[in-house]
Amino acid sequence: MTTASTSLHPPLRDWPLGLAAWALGWAAMGWLEGRVDLANLAMVLVLASAIASFWLPAVVACMLAAGSVLGFNWFFVSPKHSLSVDLSQHALLLLAMLAVSWVIAAVMGRQRALARDAQRQGERVQQLQRFGEALRDSQEPAQQAGALFASLEALLGTAPRLLVLHGPLPASDDDSAALLLGEPTAHERSGLWQCLRQGQAFGPGTGRHAELRECYFPLRGRQAAFGAAMVPLTLDATPDADTRAQAQALCDQLGLALQRALAQRLADTAREEAQLQNVRNALLAAISHDFRTPLAAILGAASALREQQGRLSAAQQDRLLDSIDQECRHLSRLTDNTLQLARLDAPGMALTLDWESPQELAGAVLARRRARNGVHEDASRLRLRVDPETPLVRCDALLISQLLDNLVDNALKYATEGPIELLVRPQAGHVVLAVRDRGPGVALAWRERIFQVFQRGDDRPSPDGARTRSAGVGLAVCRAIAQAHGGELRLRARAHGGASFECWLPLQAVPALPAESEAAPP
Amino acid sequence: MNERVLLVEDDRELRTTLREALAVEGYAVQTAASAADALAQWRHAEASPPFELVLLDLGLPDADGSTLLATLCRGRDTAVLVISARGAEGEKVALLDQGADDYLVKPFSIGELLARMRVALRHRGRAAQPAITRYAHAGLEVDLAAHSVQLDGQALHLTPTEFRLLARLVRSAGQVVTHAKLLADVWGAEYVQHTHYLRLYMGQLRAKLGDDAAAPRWLLTEPGVGYRLASPEA
Repeated sequence: MTTASTSLHPPLRDWPLGLAAWALGWAAMGWLEGRVDLANLAMVLVLASAIASFWLPAVVACMLAAGSVLGFNWFFVSPKHSLSVDLSQHALLLLAMLAVSWVIAAVMGRQRALARDAQRQGERVQQLQRFGEALRDSQEPAQQAGALFASLEALLGTAPRLLVLHGPLPASDDDSAALLLGEPTAHERSGLWQCLRQGQAFGPGTGRHAELRECYFPLRGRQAAFGAAMVPLTLDATPDADTRAQAQALCDQLGLALQRALAQRLADTAREEAQLQNVRNALLAAISHDFRTPLAAILGAASALREQQGRLSAAQQDRLLDSIDQECRHLSRLTDNTLQLARLDAPGMALTLDWESPQELAGAVLARRRARNGVHEDASRLRLRVDPETPLVRCDALLISQLLDNLVDNALKYATEGPIELLVRPQAGHVVLAVRDRGPGVALAWRERIFQVFQRGDDRPSPDGARTRSAGVGLAVCRAIAQAHGGELRLRARAHGGASFECWLPLQAVPALPAESEAAPP
Repeated sequence: MNERVLLVEDDRELRTTLREALAVEGYAVQTAASAADALAQWRHAEASPPFELVLLDLGLPDADGSTLLATLCRGRDTAVLVISARGAEGEKVALLDQGADDYLVKPFSIGELLARMRVALRHRGRAAQPAITRYAHAGLEVDLAAHSVQLDGQALHLTPTEFRLLARLVRSAGQVVTHAKLLADVWGAEYVQHTHYLRLYMGQLRAKLGDDAAAPRWLLTEPGVGYRLASPEA
């Protein structure tokens, strides 16, 4: 769009048309001379003048009309070949011709000016609309500073300088708190900051600082400005009031959008903080509850052993000791998970990534279980199935082990019978580590909730009468671990009953291994 | 028996519990609650080496474990077991790379501790004793001097790299060998970053031995730390 170059005058390329109209008019007059009387001949001149002024600037049209009238006088009005006029009638005719030509030229010029204003108005309205739409569609108004830059440049014909705040107004003029466009000089930067802080335009035509050779416009929101724009002026052109108003309107659109975005951000932050606080409170309440239960069991068993040792049978003592052992392991897992969750939540958590064999990690988890196959869990139900095509995965070995440990824990707890399978296989650009059971499955209503912290399914009595408990944090940790690896944790209901918890980790190209010949040891 | 053990642990409860458990097993136990305390006891001990085995807890109040380890590991006559809590994985692996013999993660059972101590003491003073060159456990027989590997009486063919990898584990049978150590000793120091070599060759070795990853008889995985060849006594 080029409102700046919409001219009051028709373009130069139209001039030959205007001149051609005159040439035709003169040719016609030359041909008609002697065939029609003078008054009719004069009409040809008036007609030529009217037609020519379509394509000629008003001033040029007037000068050509005056010259033509003089020429008419010279060639056609007796006494010919002199500028003297013998009859008062002819004088009147000539003057009338001149007047009519001039009026037509002036009217054409005025018409053109009106048309140009209307067109410019239209273009500016469109410009504002387009900019408004761009702001509405954009997530981040600061990104739209580029669009404002282009709009102002189109409007005023020179590249502007912009300063757009990232957030709330800083106490001092700190350039890092804002986005700067157009590479303003130090002097221009201080002007932009001043304009932003005052929230008022200044420069020639604004009534303030008219001595400047640039115009400053604030990006106004409702109460304050959120940035400023500066447009350098060329020596001869001061933008008129309309243009300044348009520039200000563009700036204000961005200002309002920035204000809305800032308010939205502040509201979001406040809501997130409130949510975080709620989660933390719930977490602390749940943790203290989950920790107290095993602690009570440990304390009970230990104090019974101390105070009633003489009266307890060897079997009873064994059971108490076993209970202490189990509860401690449970507490230990709970602690690990809770700490891990806090760590994964913290910003800047760095994973220790390395090429790992998924088969090895899954195997190690099961091997540990089998090595300490206790009274409370039946590790013999665990199976490992590995697709031999499974490639190495880049992951954090300890975190993935913890994830698998938790999933196996869960399966042992909720699927009280039937085999539990740990399946490792490549699938659709991922490596899938799945723990599948044949237990009661997960009710639809719980499919999403179980991944949230300290939610738990129904506590089902297990066969030995003990209540199963959920650590309430295990699955939340698993999901956080999968996501930290750029993967995800999915829950699938199995066709013939049971649940499959699947950790999908994205595959990456494993570096090649140097070839080695199969050789018998020398 | 009666090996002298120095227990460096800042938590009083755990220190007391461990000391009594070890004393019951017949070890001569001295305890220290800080790194400075441990160094003082080390220097004032009559014998040489002052202790056969040191149990070193990471996260001491006055120093990190590696400064202490530098003093204790001189001469390789003393076995060092590192005791670490969760979250100190990086420090633990660094100490193992620096020469600590093995590690335990809190919480651990006394049974685990005693087993680790026995293996560490058996490996102690490798500089002075003849190196371990034979390994026999659960049907696998490796003779490093004769360069032979037999599985259930049948000769097993390994590639040179696979054999070097197995040999390195045999020399530390029962003890964890870190990834970095294995890479450096089998491939060379410049290969320490090439962890995928190690993973793939371990996979090949496991396949040739027919070792089930979920119920391994020989090749034990310690995620994030290294590998351990099952101790012949287990």
